Amino acid sequence: MDRNYDNIVIVGYGIAGMTAADTLRSHGYQGRLTIVGGEPHEPYSRPALSKAMLADVSTVEPQYLPASDHGAKVLLGSRAVALDLKRNTITLDNGEYIDFDGLVIASGSTAKRFTDHPREFAVRSLDDALRLRTRLHDQPNVVILGGGPLGMEIASGARNIGCAVTLVHRGLPMASHLGPYLGGWCTEAARARGVELIDGRVAEVYAPDSADGPITVCLESGQEVGGDVIVSTIGDAPEGDWLADSGLLTDGRLKVDTRGRVNEHIVAAGDIAWLPTADGHERQPLWTAAIEQAKTASHALLVGDEAPPLNFQSYFWTEQFGLTIRVSGDFPIHGEPEVVARGQKANPDALLLRWNGDAQSAAAVGYRIAIPKLRKVATGDFLPS
Amino acid sequence: MRIELDQPRCEGHGLCEEVAPDLVHLDDEGELVIDIAEVEAGSNEEHHAQEAVRICPVTALSLK
Ligand SMILES: Cc1cc2nc3c(=O)[nH]c(=O)nc-3n(C[C@H](O)[C@H](O)[C@H](O)COP(=O)(O)OP(=O)(O)OC[C@H]3O[C@@H](n4cnc5c(N)ncnc54)[C@H](O)[C@@H]3O)c2cc1C
Ligand code: SF4
Repeated sequence: MDRNYDNIVIVGYGIAGMTAADTLRSHGYQGRLTIVGGEPHEPYSRPALSKAMLADVSTVEPQYLPASDHGAKVLLGSRAVALDLKRNTITLDNGEYIDFDGLVIASGSTAKRFTDHPREFAVRSLDDALRLRTRLHDQPNVVILGGGPLGMEIASGARNIGCAVTLVHRGLPMASHLGPYLGGWCTEAARARGVELIDGRVAEVYAPDSADGPITVCLESGQEVGGDVIVSTIGDAPEGDWLADSGLLTDGRLKVDTRGRVNEHIVAAGDIAWLPTADGHERQPLWTAAIEQAKTASHALLVGDEAPPLNFQSYFWTEQFGLTIRVSGDFPIHGEPEVVARGQKANPDALLLRWNGDAQSAAAVGYRIAIPKLRKVATGDFLPS
Repeated sequence: MRIELDQPRCEGHGLCEEVAPDLVHLDDEGELVIDIAEVEAGSNEEHHAQEAVRICPVTALSLK
């Protein structure tokens, strides 16, 4: 180890924070390790919140991540509210300070929303998901704002539970993630399962002063859409408020280098981090990206340039309206794919698709294939027999 | 230590195969097969097993 740390702090105990703790230990760090975990829960699978958690009506079982032996002191339900780089201290929400010599920033992001009204739901945390689930069981009329993966997965779950669902989205749902071809499939599947789709953009959400008055969505076209509850799935914003006065943010963004470093003794990983790409700095708010970034960044914290830079290959999946779609390569993608294989006995409708041309993209629709193979299908290096 | 799979939970992402190809693979039907279940504590295999357990987005794998 180049640097002699003895007091590393990780802020955020999601998948990135947990992976960082494991990685520091596996690279031989034996010093003090403290994790500030803003939620009152042990880490859990966030992708499951809009999938299994809503799909299975019979159980409410959060998918906690398997426990780790990192031996860190974990402060659950404790939030960092400020970072002071002159003293190398973090202020916690109970007013206490903790100091550090190395810092991993893994505070993720929060869901954007239009209002603070209790009838507007947004899903980021386990508590958000439990609250929504409980509410959906009364089968309210649900209006979902946003037709990305989160909106479509929640729409699918709400239909399963028996709610009437209206989804507002500008253009074809899922197309901005997957492209028009697969977006068209998702849209068809949503319609077939009884989701009312409205093509439009939200101008404003009118929330009543009281908690039980009706909540109304006003579209740019002038159309008004009302429901018992609305669920906003309009994207996430990085959890950077606690860094506002730290001097680490540029235009509100926490930018890192190709090894996740913010500076010599601070690294960042997961949904909070803006990574250098050919098109400038971008976030990669995906489960596998958070894991890869946390591994790279915590290794780089310990050994600097000796740590290999991030080499991330994107992988994305969604489950909605009976479709399980998993993609690797460049997405969204235009044009029609070629069907390179069809499902076997158990699921004859399954398809393995590949787009030819400059882009290297493959999709498995209900088709079970290991990710390494799907990546090879995308690059044209593998075809199932 | 032993790798265990909660079969009904596994969705066949195969992300575990990517980090631990020496221990697990998806067969032609897309079912996950554990090739090596017993791993020695502190070994390379154990490290791979830990990574596989961690990456699974539906927490279907565990190491006991
Ligand atoms: C409902 C849902 C479904 C998703 N589905 C998919 C999917 O299918 N596929 C996919 O690849 N990705 C999916 N994602 C995205 C994926 O879950 C994230 O990219 C990933 O969880 C990011 O991990 P992270 O550790 O960076 O952040 P998080 O998991 O958000 O963890 C950050 C933690 O830090 C805590 N924190 C924040 N601020 C502070 C503070 N100031 N002090 C202390 N703690 C703090 C937060 O409370 C949180 O617990 C989904 C996300 C959501 C919300
Ligand atoms: S990563 Fe999890 S869901 Fe995917 S194949 Fe492995 S055990 Fe199954």
